[in-house]
Amino acid sequence: MDAHAHGGHSGPDGHGGYHEEQHIHPDPTTFLRKYVFSMDHKVIAKQFIWLGLAFLFIGGTMAMMIRWQLAYPGEPFPVIGKWVFAGSNGIVSPSAYTSLFTMHGTIMIFFAITPIMIGGFGNFCIPLMIGARDMIFPLLNMLSFWMQMISSGVLIASFFVPMGAAAAGWTSYATLSTNIGTPGWGQTMWAISIFLAGISTIMGAVNYITTVIRLRAPGMGYFQMPLTVWGLWLTAILNALFVPVLGAAGILLIFDRTFGTHFFMTGTMIKGGGDPLLFQHLFWIFGHPEVYILILPAWGVVSDLLAFFSRKPAYAYKVTALSMVAICVLSAVVYGHHMYVTTMSPLLGEGFMVLTMIISVPAMVLFLNWMKTVWKGSMRLTSPMLFSLGVVFVFGVGGLTGLYLADIPQDLYLHDTYFVVGHFHMTMAAAVFLGSFASIYFWFPKMFGRQFSEGLAKLHFWLSFIPINIIFCSMLVIGNAGMQRRLYNPNDYEMFKHMHPLNRWISMWAFTLFFGQIPFIYNFFKSVFAGKQAEMNPWQVGTLEWSIPSPPPHHNFDEIPHVIHGPHEYNNPAVTTKDWLGQAEEIPGTGGGAAVSKPAN
Amino acid sequence: MTALNDIVPFRAPRRRSDTNSFVGMLIFLGTWAMMFGALFFAYAEVRLKNAEWPPSGEAPLPIALPLLNTIVLMLASVALGFALKAVRTAHPGGLRLGLFGALVFGSLFLALQMVVWRSIYLGGLKPSTDIYGSVFYGLTCFHALHVLVGLGGIISLLPGALSGKFNVQRHASVRHWVMYWHFVDVVWVLMFVTVYVL
Ligand code: HEM
Ligand SMILES: [Cu+2]
Repeated sequence: MDAHAHGGHSGPDGHGGYHEEQHIHPDPTTFLRKYVFSMDHKVIAKQFIWLGLAFLFIGGTMAMMIRWQLAYPGEPFPVIGKWVFAGSNGIVSPSAYTSLFTMHGTIMIFFAITPIMIGGFGNFCIPLMIGARDMIFPLLNMLSFWMQMISSGVLIASFFVPMGAAAAGWTSYATLSTNIGTPGWGQTMWAISIFLAGISTIMGAVNYITTVIRLRAPGMGYFQMPLTVWGLWLTAILNALFVPVLGAAGILLIFDRTFGTHFFMTGTMIKGGGDPLLFQHLFWIFGHPEVYILILPAWGVVSDLLAFFSRKPAYAYKVTALSMVAICVLSAVVYGHHMYVTTMSPLLGEGFMVLTMIISVPAMVLFLNWMKTVWKGSMRLTSPMLFSLGVVFVFGVGGLTGLYLADIPQDLYLHDTYFVVGHFHMTMAAAVFLGSFASIYFWFPKMFGRQFSEGLAKLHFWLSFIPINIIFCSMLVIGNAGMQRRLYNPNDYEMFKHMHPLNRWISMWAFTLFFGQIPFIYNFFKSVFAGKQAEMNPWQVGTLEWSIPSPPPHHNFDEIPHVIHGPHEYNNPAVTTKDWLGQAEEIPGTGGGAAVSKPAN
Repeated sequence: MTALNDIVPFRAPRRRSDTNSFVGMLIFLGTWAMMFGALFFAYAEVRLKNAEWPPSGEAPLPIALPLLNTIVLMLASVALGFALKAVRTAHPGGLRLGLFGALVFGSLFLALQMVVWRSIYLGGLKPSTDIYGSVFYGLTCFHALHVLVGLGGIISLLPGALSGKFNVQRHASVRHWVMYWHFVDVVWVLMFVTVYVL
């Protein structure tokens, strides 16, 4: 017990001075310091989540406009159309359509998912779950948020410049994204905004990686960390390695657009031209790891939640963690599968094909471990659990579609069809969407210290889960039938005309999904401001954040905890009074907890 | 004891928070290395696409002045290494000397770089001439921006060095800027080899 004593005790890994180093600072008192320029990771997490949710709404509204145009081409968009598309009588014009799908993708990836899962839950969960008082560099943390705000400002401003926002797709392939394809400021501002968002992400990543390496509470080895922290940490590592590559692509694009360089332009007129494909290389060297950057936090959260709500230790915890590591490593060497149709050498293509398919092996291991975790568990179907099971389902379906795309002969047909759109929405959009809500509902009591309505949350789950599956599975079907992505009006083409009913069907369900978020919005706002006081540990789980009050005090832990168990200590036969055990909690009735045998399971 | 001290120079034990920021700085430099790595990738890619280099038959870039400049930048790094060693062995005078030296060499580097850009620009190679110009101006300007930031960093250290704020125990920010400069220096050497020599 005296291991808890104040002062320079050393953790098992030999570092001393956890307490001297993590002083308890007095609570900030002014409004500005407390809510605006706060350096408290919990406040910054909330700021990121509010920002991300706002952009989720904007990006979602854009998706509705896209789907409206595909369902009712040439008809004015209802209600807000006459303001948004004032120049074209409320009709989504071709140029507006191109901007819409470009900005929808950009916003969802860099301004919705990234802030919510990485900026928000990365910030909230990492220090709390590893038993730290804050991030290791609080000032950097604050700057990271404000950099993201500046970047968001530039992005929003780009809608109002002459010739409108960027319109070269979220992938911004050259030469579409050079001055030839998209003159005007919009595309340049896109590049600047992405660069700044990248800086913000890198600041966050440096902070997260260092925090996990240096601030784990005594006793918490890497393999005692919750899988959530594993997911967030690996995401941060991938971010640190690959976001700079996107940054480089952005810089070169800015050079090309403003200083007249020729990195991405070539042609018979220019001797010694650059290479448009260079942009695709740089983009996908970043872009493929990026898809795992986005999904890894959700994987981590789901791996934990499935164990928490099955009341069982996560099956093969170490294997799960290590297969996430393996996926990260492999994700660095498969980017070529996005470029099969760019006249790459067949040998290289086959190499990328094999490597891509190998990724499915660790992905499958992860998936089977999830199955084994819930298998014969005493499941509690709470709202976070429902969302987690939803992630398992959509990721299972989406992951399988990846294999078709990885196969070159099939990809030659499927590339740039709605099959790809279905694939990445199933894996990325749907899985991360559901994963974000699993996280929001799970940590809501801790974050805001209030309870939300479980009934509304479950309603929200079904109103999200059913439409999401219908929408994106239908996209797989329509893509398999050959419909190309990014078409303004597919009905203009004889061969796509007969698909109009299916397009309309997808749109109907998309609108359902959009309005299905109303229970969430109502529930969220009502509970944040007027929910009942939440308990300290409403879900009865053992990770460290649940051993302190909800919401946690400014300095999180009065005493830095001394960790003696793994994160999923359920139904330990040595514990007779309850079915869970805190990570820093000694087995009730025994003198010391250090020599605990692993539970049979 | 003295014998041991002769072999292993004395170093004050590092505070935990210094190690923290050291680790953070290493990770940051790692990310930034990826950014420059991507730029070198771009260079390699366009080199592979162009059988002739320089492509439009223009004169290759000069080597003599840039080589001199490379040495100047290395001297800035050496000066900073000297400064770090001085603060670690409690020689505040050496710290000041090293920082001033680095400031002088760093500024000289930018001045000489200005001369190189000017003469090449007047010689007719512009960023928009062809990919040769794009690569040359794009990479060197982006690097020069980093030197500029590094100079700002040294200037930010000067008040502390002059007022004796840094001592054997507390000099983390000196160490970070020295790391940053070494990094910028290594990048420059690679850039010199690729952009000018090869
Ligand atoms: C077993 C796993 C997976 C395999 C084998 C796989 C394979 C592929 C392939 C071959 C493509 C290129 C299709 C084309 O453009 O023709 C692709 C596209 C894509 N995948 Fe996956 N994928 C997998 C999992 C994932 C996951 C987990 C995510 C996201 C979290 C994801 C997100 C994406 C995105 C965003 C695109 C393309 C975006 C675009 O072109 O705009 N994939 N995938
Ligand atoms: Cu990929």
